[in-house]
Amino acid sequence: MSSEQQPGVIVVDRGHPATRDGRGLARGIGVVLRHLRDAFGPRLERPEQTSGVFTVQYPEERTPLPEASRNLPILLFDDDSGHELCTSCYQCERICPPQVIHITQARDPASGKAVPAIDEFILEYDACMSCGLCAEVCPFDAIKMDHAFELSTATRDPLTVDRAGLARPVSYYAQLAPQAWAEARDGAMKKLQGSRRRRTGTVGMTPARAAPPAADEPAAPTAGAAPASQPASGEPAAASDAKAARLAAIRARNAARQREGGDS
Amino acid sequence: MRDPIAVSQILVIEQAPGWLVAALNHAIIAGVLLIGGAITMMLQVWVERRVIARMQDRLGPNRVGPEGILQSIADGIKMFTKEDIVPRAADRWVHLLAPIVALAPIAMMLAVLPWGRGLVAVDLEVGVLYIAAVSSISGVGLMMAGWGSRNTFALLGAMRSIAQLIAYEIPLIIALLGIVLLTGGMSLARMPELQAGIPLFGSSIPGAPDLGLGWFIFTPVGLLGGIIVFICALAEGERTPFDIPEADSEIVAGYMTEYSGMKFAVFYIAQYLLNFALAVLSAVVFLGGWQGPGVAWLADAGLGAAASLLSLLWLLLKAWALFVLMVVIRAAVPRLRVDQLMGFAWKYLLPLALVNVASAALWVGLTQWSSIEWGNLLPVDGLAPWQRIGVAALVTAVINLGATRWVLRINS
Repeated sequence: MSSEQQPGVIVVDRGHPATRDGRGLARGIGVVLRHLRDAFGPRLERPEQTSGVFTVQYPEERTPLPEASRNLPILLFDDDSGHELCTSCYQCERICPPQVIHITQARDPASGKAVPAIDEFILEYDACMSCGLCAEVCPFDAIKMDHAFELSTATRDPLTVDRAGLARPVSYYAQLAPQAWAEARDGAMKKLQGSRRRRTGTVGMTPARAAPPAADEPAAPTAGAAPASQPASGEPAAASDAKAARLAAIRARNAARQREGGDS
Repeated sequence: MRDPIAVSQILVIEQAPGWLVAALNHAIIAGVLLIGGAITMMLQVWVERRVIARMQDRLGPNRVGPEGILQSIADGIKMFTKEDIVPRAADRWVHLLAPIVALAPIAMMLAVLPWGRGLVAVDLEVGVLYIAAVSSISGVGLMMAGWGSRNTFALLGAMRSIAQLIAYEIPLIIALLGIVLLTGGMSLARMPELQAGIPLFGSSIPGAPDLGLGWFIFTPVGLLGGIIVFICALAEGERTPFDIPEADSEIVAGYMTEYSGMKFAVFYIAQYLLNFALAVLSAVVFLGGWQGPGVAWLADAGLGAAASLLSLLWLLLKAWALFVLMVVIRAAVPRLRVDQLMGFAWKYLLPLALVNVASAALWVGLTQWSSIEWGNLLPVDGLAPWQRIGVAALVTAVINLGATRWVLRINS
């Protein structure tokens, strides 16, 4: 083979002469030996480093998640009053692509009129696709995306999460995403004041605060609690049955409403 | 000096019949070699995975046991408990026998390798020939695997591996032939004994200490031969850059595509054992085998057992060093194309190996022939042995260097 330039042959300048006679092998071995040496040095973290171990030994070591990281939705409630930010506007239920959000609106016990609060809010974590559209669309900043991702369970039940299981205090979200919450806080709290004026009694309060005698049940986690334990914690069989029954009821009612809408 | 291991004398009752003693003796030695082989293979896999991982800026397996050293055992248990799957279209018996045919010859290679001073299971007079013959049998196993699987990838891989084994066996054997000329015999057990003394001059200078460093790699013939043999060992053992028979990015796993569970594990063991056997072979032939500083001194001091142990350590050290070099090359070099692979064997290695044989013959002539044998053309009789070695080294170095430059120039 000749190395003379032929017509139609493009010669690429590699910045060094062609490696022949085993010099390429020597160069390659030099590179891997440099990496072998540096692998015992500091970890590969800064962009200007070109060698060093980059492995994060996951269960023991974790990299901090970015603030906008999203996994599964949660419902926020106010730390001080225990009132949920959600007003049952159904925006999230409408936009949810896999249709895993099921809401019933609360009614005033005295007048029977609808109030801006939820009676039940069921979310099927097992079918949620973590798109985050519910959090995007929520006008009241009531639904947000959690960072917890270690949700594996042995059964399916814990992945149908109700209002109590979804509840997280505002302070928990503020700690997850300080910047996003700082932008949203004033508006959200102002809207919550407006909603609270139309709620009576314990309507719209997160279940753990609304019913103090049931406080020995798995309580809504506080800001410091491990969020992963909430959906994964084994609930009593009766509670999960009740949850499933409520979910079925909501679905049946929605289906009926849809049929009526289709007929008219 | 070269007694077989006297296990029988330690264990067996004096009155036992001779055949029983011999059978027990061989069974024990075979057991030691095979168990040692299995342990070596597990260590090899662990070392390879850990070292390669560091070179690729990773950590490698570090969970099972301290620093992950038991990872291979965990993998072994997994292999054992896997379902044995045979494709419906496969030739059942060929499919079953292929891994056995691939592993058995490699285990047989371990028998003739001298593991230490006086530690050789079978001292064959034709050890080199035996190694060459037996190691090529495992190619039949690979072809059986490729053919019996009834799978295109497997057949492609098998054909590639046969082409590669045949191409690289020729320079391998011719390069070994050069050393056979130097030593005047094919016995592998004798080769380390001839590599005593000091570098290049061996034991030819009277009064020089026996450092156990008269390795053939320090002579021009041995250096070129050693490089050729090491490259061929990479190809025979299907190590990167010659891993085209099982090129996982092209043909899944080559001839192993349809294998799983223990049959796959047997292929895996065969491959690593072959790598190790070839590393030991290269060490024995070119790196002095079990020779090393201290062995001769211990033996002269009457500590035969200690000398044997030290010699075993030297051999294992050399073999492991060669294996780690294989790992480093695997990390550094990408896979060759088939045509590059063939071209390298036939256009680079074969001419160099042939020149090396000529150099070896010249070396023997310059160091061992008398003036009369030279037809009174060369007045070699007046020179001391070490002077003759010096002259021979100079001449063969010039020849080998010139030939290497020439081969590299005409091919580039």
